Amino acid sequence: MKRLVLTRREIPTRGGQPVAFLFGLAFALLVGAILMQVSGDPAIDVYQRMWERSLGSTDTWSVTFNRAVPLALAGLAVSIAATMGLWNIGAEGQILFGATAATLVGRLFPDWPGPVLITAMLIAAVIGGALWALGPGLAKAELGVSEIITTLMLTEVAIRLITYLEQGPWKDPEGFGFPNVTARPPQAELGDLWDRTHIGVLLALAVIGAFAWFINRSVWGYELRIAGSSRQTAAYAGISMRRKVLGVLLLSGAVAGFAGGIELTGTAVRLNAQISNGYGFSGIIVAALALMRPSAIPVVALAFGAVQVGGQSIQTSLGVSPAVSTILQALILFGAIGAAVFSNYRVVALDRQVSVA
Amino acid sequence: MTTPAVELDGIWKRFPGVIANSGANLTVRPGTVHAVLGENGAGKTTLMNCLAGVYRPDEGAIRIDGREVRFSSPADAIEAGVGMVHQEFRLVPTFTVAQNVVLGAAPGIVNRTRIDAEVAALAERFGFRAEPERPVWQLSMGERQRVEILKALWRDARILILDEPTAVLTPQEAQELGAVLRRMVAEGRSVIFISHKLDEVTAFCDEATVLRGGSTVAASVEVASVDAAELARLMVGDVDAPPVNRRDTAAGDIVLSVRDLRAIDTRGVTALDGVSLDVRSGEILGIAGVAGNGQRALTDAIAGLQRTVAGTVEIAGTDITSAPPRARHRAGLAYVPEDRLGVGLAPKLPITENAIMREYRALRRGPLLSWSTARTFCDGLVRRFEVKVGRVEAPMASLSGGNLQRLLLGRELSGEPRVVVASQPTRGLDVAGVRAIQQLLVAQRDQGTAVLMVSEDLDELLALADRIVVMVEGRIVGEFDARTTSRAEIGEAMIGSRRADA
Repeated sequence: MKRLVLTRREIPTRGGQPVAFLFGLAFALLVGAILMQVSGDPAIDVYQRMWERSLGSTDTWSVTFNRAVPLALAGLAVSIAATMGLWNIGAEGQILFGATAATLVGRLFPDWPGPVLITAMLIAAVIGGALWALGPGLAKAELGVSEIITTLMLTEVAIRLITYLEQGPWKDPEGFGFPNVTARPPQAELGDLWDRTHIGVLLALAVIGAFAWFINRSVWGYELRIAGSSRQTAAYAGISMRRKVLGVLLLSGAVAGFAGGIELTGTAVRLNAQISNGYGFSGIIVAALALMRPSAIPVVALAFGAVQVGGQSIQTSLGVSPAVSTILQALILFGAIGAAVFSNYRVVALDRQVSVA
Repeated sequence: MTTPAVELDGIWKRFPGVIANSGANLTVRPGTVHAVLGENGAGKTTLMNCLAGVYRPDEGAIRIDGREVRFSSPADAIEAGVGMVHQEFRLVPTFTVAQNVVLGAAPGIVNRTRIDAEVAALAERFGFRAEPERPVWQLSMGERQRVEILKALWRDARILILDEPTAVLTPQEAQELGAVLRRMVAEGRSVIFISHKLDEVTAFCDEATVLRGGSTVAASVEVASVDAAELARLMVGDVDAPPVNRRDTAAGDIVLSVRDLRAIDTRGVTALDGVSLDVRSGEILGIAGVAGNGQRALTDAIAGLQRTVAGTVEIAGTDITSAPPRARHRAGLAYVPEDRLGVGLAPKLPITENAIMREYRALRRGPLLSWSTARTFCDGLVRRFEVKVGRVEAPMASLSGGNLQRLLLGRELSGEPRVVVASQPTRGLDVAGVRAIQQLLVAQRDQGTAVLMVSEDLDELLALADRIVVMVEGRIVGEFDARTTSRAEIGEAMIGSRRADA
């Protein structure tokens, strides 16, 4: 009689991660199909519709690309912190505060010409995101307070802040009493590359590329890698852990804030608490699936964007719950993590142990 | 002839790029202590891990009491009566001795008083001193080892493997261990004793099997009938190791001066209790002591990685007591830490990035690093210190232990240091690696550098050092002239005050 045993590979298989990701995708589609059939929805139709409405036709590419932008930037934000072993769980809050800061600039200078105003708003978003990460950064660097808790909790604060602005100081006077923030100046809208795909796609790719280059080539990036290796190695090399922790969380927040600015000027017309749409959290999954490598983030973000956009369409056209999309996203992660085991372990069939006693 | 307790027949075990065992054989008679001898890297530990179910051999057969077995986990091996005490102990520090002993093999509901009594009875049967209710973190390394042995006996191991058990023991503790082993074999159990120290083998063991380069070169030699020199020749092969050069240079001025240094470790326990020492230019000061008596705290404190509460450290007259690590390095300090991969290197990063860890600030081009200069610097180190590397872009951890240490020491020496502090610089290296590192340190001494060297290997200290001081419980308890002292004298000092409060 044989039994199967997992044995650790001394060296992980090369190229295991892309395979694991594809496996995760296939696994998710299969399990998702079973779930849909069980609950009485036509899985094939649903998948067909999801494909058509995300990547299957040129009309819908724009929506998917635009969706991938904040996912990729949030993923980048998470991966920056992870280079040093830090978890920025609160990219969501930094996105929101970034958008809030951009809105403030829009309110202060409503008459500036479009390009100038957009630039100012995006800079404000970057600063806003960094500011939202400043507290957690200082607390972590100086007192050792877990950044996981602080960044996550500040997300709630950002949501409440926006709710307050909606109902109080920034309430739209022409909003028929609805608690809405006044719409941003109409000229502060990102131009389109083609169809409705906005320039944010290029900006996101540029930011990711610049970041990857900077981390690889700069003294700062080198120190970051050493500090990420171990606290003691950093001390040995004379690298100040405190300054690195603060710097990396500020940068992570800045990138997330930038995503907020892009959302406000790209796809939204006004600030609200839904503008971040869970991108900060999805970004954690994107970063994890990309193994924290900036180069892999755009691809993973695009795949996730497609699942999200496709998932929304099935509700309107087929009456299937949009939770299908959420379930699929989770299944992709499970499948990919499960499959990644096989790049680190191999399966061996063994004879049953001969009993000795 | 009786059926052997253990038979390993033609064991092969390959790892990527390394063949650890190539057709190794071992036969152990029941009721004997059997030594497995060999240099570092001879394949002793791998072979034993195959027997203990940690690894699965690629080829070959394992027979226990004449019956063939295949283990897929240590649990299988334990079930078959094979227990192993690894070099790194696997204990839960916050649990008591008794809790650790029964962990995973407790009889139903754990009744603490009953377990304590049973563990105490077991210990007594084999002549251990054991306090079942003490938490493990309070124990010395020697005491922890006894807990590991008790764990195996609790699971009724009839074959006990001890991997270099005396490495963490004082000579006196080693004697006690020998007595425990005799009691075990008297009950018909078998003990496999891995070692590379001949004197222990002749003292404790009945038979010896010698491994070299992954295969058996002498099987089941009767220890009583064989000459120690013959065993040594079998172990190292025909190339005999030339003794490391010692030159009678006159020591110069004091370069490193430590005065009344005190430090408290992370658990709040006193790690350094008023250490004072001087190292002069052109001398090697050796620090001997059983592991965990403050050696690491001392070297870390000198390097600026351990906070001190009192005392001073000076390099060439400059007070560096509160200077950050980088300022100490600039003052002329080179440091080879005990934990190479966790402190001195970044194992997952490329070799180049590890090579420039001390010098990268000189490679700045604005905010960027000049990678071409970094590469040249790394290539220079690799050539000068004869580091065997494939690609310098490969992760540091892909290097073998000896090459890793050559690069680390080379990087430290390339800054023309005035003081070299080296902690366990040759531990775990193969013969060639040990010799290369020792020669580099001696060459530094001959150039007039002050060298402070911590080692648990007394023979190494006796061969290399000019003076030897002994540390016990964060204090220096004795100083010896390496030329005139004996192992026994130093061993006596190493257990010094520890014996007094036992």
